[in-house]
Amino acid sequence: MDLFGKRGLLIEDNGDMRASLRAQLAAAGLEQCETARNVKEAVDRLHRARPDLVVCDYNLGQGTDGQQFLELVRRKKLLPLSCAFLMVTGENSYEQVATAAEYTPDDYLLKPFTAETLATRLGRILDKKSALMPIYRWMGAKPDPAKAIVACDELLTADQRYTLDIQRLKGELLLAAGRAEEALAHYAAILAQRATPWAFVGQARSLVALGREDEARAQLEQALIAYPNYLAAYDLLAGLVAKTDKDAAQQIVEQALKVAPSTQRTRELGSLAMANGDFERAESAYKRVVDKDRSGFFKSHDDYAGLAKSCVEQGKTGEALAAVKDMGAAFSRSPELEARQAALECQAHSKAGNADAAKAALERALTVQKDAKLDASTALEVAQACFSGGRTDEAKAIIQHVAENHHEDDDVLARAQGVFAAAGLHDEGTVFLEATKKRMIKLNNDAVGLAKSGDIDQAIAMLTEAADRLTNNAQIALNAALALLMHVHKNGPDEDRIARAHHYLQQAIAANPAHPKLDEVGNFYRKVAPPGSPALELE
Amino acid sequence: MSDTPLDPLVAAVIHDAKNALMSLDTQLAGLGERRPGADIAAARDSTQRIAGQLTELLTLYRAQRGQLRLVIDDRDLHDFIDDLLAELGPLPAGKTLAVDRSAAGSLGAWAFDAHLVRLALLDALRNALRHAAGRVTLTLDRPEEGGLRLSVADDGPGYPDELLNGTEDIASSHGTGLGLAFARIIAARHTTPDGRQGRVELANRPGARFSLVLP
Repeated sequence: MDLFGKRGLLIEDNGDMRASLRAQLAAAGLEQCETARNVKEAVDRLHRARPDLVVCDYNLGQGTDGQQFLELVRRKKLLPLSCAFLMVTGENSYEQVATAAEYTPDDYLLKPFTAETLATRLGRILDKKSALMPIYRWMGAKPDPAKAIVACDELLTADQRYTLDIQRLKGELLLAAGRAEEALAHYAAILAQRATPWAFVGQARSLVALGREDEARAQLEQALIAYPNYLAAYDLLAGLVAKTDKDAAQQIVEQALKVAPSTQRTRELGSLAMANGDFERAESAYKRVVDKDRSGFFKSHDDYAGLAKSCVEQGKTGEALAAVKDMGAAFSRSPELEARQAALECQAHSKAGNADAAKAALERALTVQKDAKLDASTALEVAQACFSGGRTDEAKAIIQHVAENHHEDDDVLARAQGVFAAAGLHDEGTVFLEATKKRMIKLNNDAVGLAKSGDIDQAIAMLTEAADRLTNNAQIALNAALALLMHVHKNGPDEDRIARAHHYLQQAIAANPAHPKLDEVGNFYRKVAPPGSPALELE
Repeated sequence: MSDTPLDPLVAAVIHDAKNALMSLDTQLAGLGERRPGADIAAARDSTQRIAGQLTELLTLYRAQRGQLRLVIDDRDLHDFIDDLLAELGPLPAGKTLAVDRSAAGSLGAWAFDAHLVRLALLDALRNALRHAAGRVTLTLDRPEEGGLRLSVADDGPGYPDELLNGTEDIASSHGTGLGLAFARIIAARHTTPDGRQGRVELANRPGARFSLVLP
């Protein structure tokens, strides 16, 4: 395949190297090629240039690297799967690139190389991408795993060359579609023919989806003996082990970090070490995350919070406050930042016995908390500060609101449990959160029951009241929209209920654009809303 | 030779020498573009061969220290063979290379460390081209017991009996034995969760045949 007529994006921080790579690409026939010097420019260019291929150097300066960039753009779906991604690497970072776990480049090229090699490798990726296009079509912004699986099956009967790539995609799609039994059989059939690491991990994922976690763990441990550098196996295993034994999970993450350093895994290590009371290790892990990325592009408030809290726990008040200050310099101003900093300051001062300073900081945090709709992590930080300042009732009220808003999100609930645990209220937290979750499920079930038995108005009243209070709960908003639409379906269109249903659907999309019930309710809206009704805007 | 540990200083020097050779090769490539000629091709061939040997030596060193890391991933077999042949470069005068890759079509890809296996096969190919009377074959097939077999055979005098029955000190008669030691380590490090392991097979039929079997 010739690169002529393709659009490229070249990311390389070193000027000489950039010019030389650009010349090599031109020699390979690539005329249209944007260049970027760093991650920020690259993201800007991606929005504009819509490239067919990206050539990215691993080392991007300022403590950032091409792997971080790739993870970012794939996770945020800024880069369609049809776009080729070639990572260029020196010998030193070769292993990091080659062992990347979840988001892998389509290929990598070890420096130095000729223009001819570069063209050959890019051509190969583009050939494969174009062969797999019928599948990628259903894996984009609006994914449809069922249709993508059908496309896989069609290609599998027609294509010989990319059979294994197609099978790999099919396994992931079966899992995404919730067809775990089929996925398990699919992976078993592949493994009967050949041994390949991704199929072992896929088999373990299928077992997890079927609730057979012990078997999955045994599988992964076995796989790691043969493939001690296969990071996806560590990641999955650490996640499974963490449910019952956080100490063992920490050891697994440490092992994975020895294979290849990674910001995400270092962060994971910090979080596990915190939970295990290994505050020294937590501090060094978070410090590494915070220090490595000098661009500020890949850091989060949580990283600084982790650093500050691990210092607080060790009685290092000065270091904790310094981390809070650095945090302010690393991010642009926002209510989240302000509340987070104040809440962390409060915790540091409380621990050090500076009651007045703690109280002042807490007041600042609570003022922001009252005025702004804070995200879950920030709100929980304020709750933790309330606990440390002895204001238990306010802490619980905040946690309750967060838990009600995110009752389907196990990550948020686990964080909320962590706040209780840090306050020495582990058991009370378990009961409290369990009760909150049950209450939300009951509210939904009761309302759906009412609607089904004909009392739609009562269901609408219940659900819209809850949806107005809990704007981040996608399920409640969807059910509110559903009840309104059922009314319209039964009694004929009325503008007010259509408009309200639209409002709650948009609220659900904003809260969780990947909610499994979104499609169903969205389709119902399109069916019952008369022409001229406002269209749904997906994120 | 695998019993002799390498001094870390020696390893560091080898590493530098290997990198210097690789940049020398890049310079020779540039020179060859401006002034094509058989002498430059020969110089590049030597440079690459020595760089390859140093890489093998370093790999053995890392294996001894428990630092050798394999990157096992699916590799398209057609692409792999293409890259291998491109890296091998032009054949010596009077020698031919036949490639039988018919199994590549049905297999598509195989999971192995392409970088290390390519080095091992390059060494085997260069060795075979040196010993062949005229013809070398590279064959890719599936043995009955499973796995993937990559074989390099030549029509030369074959391996000495002592080498085949393992009684001979490899280093004394057949070059340094580095390439074979390297290939054996690389093969053995390829394992599967169900306990299968890669291996190297040597045979005379009647010329020498080297096979790397990947599980």
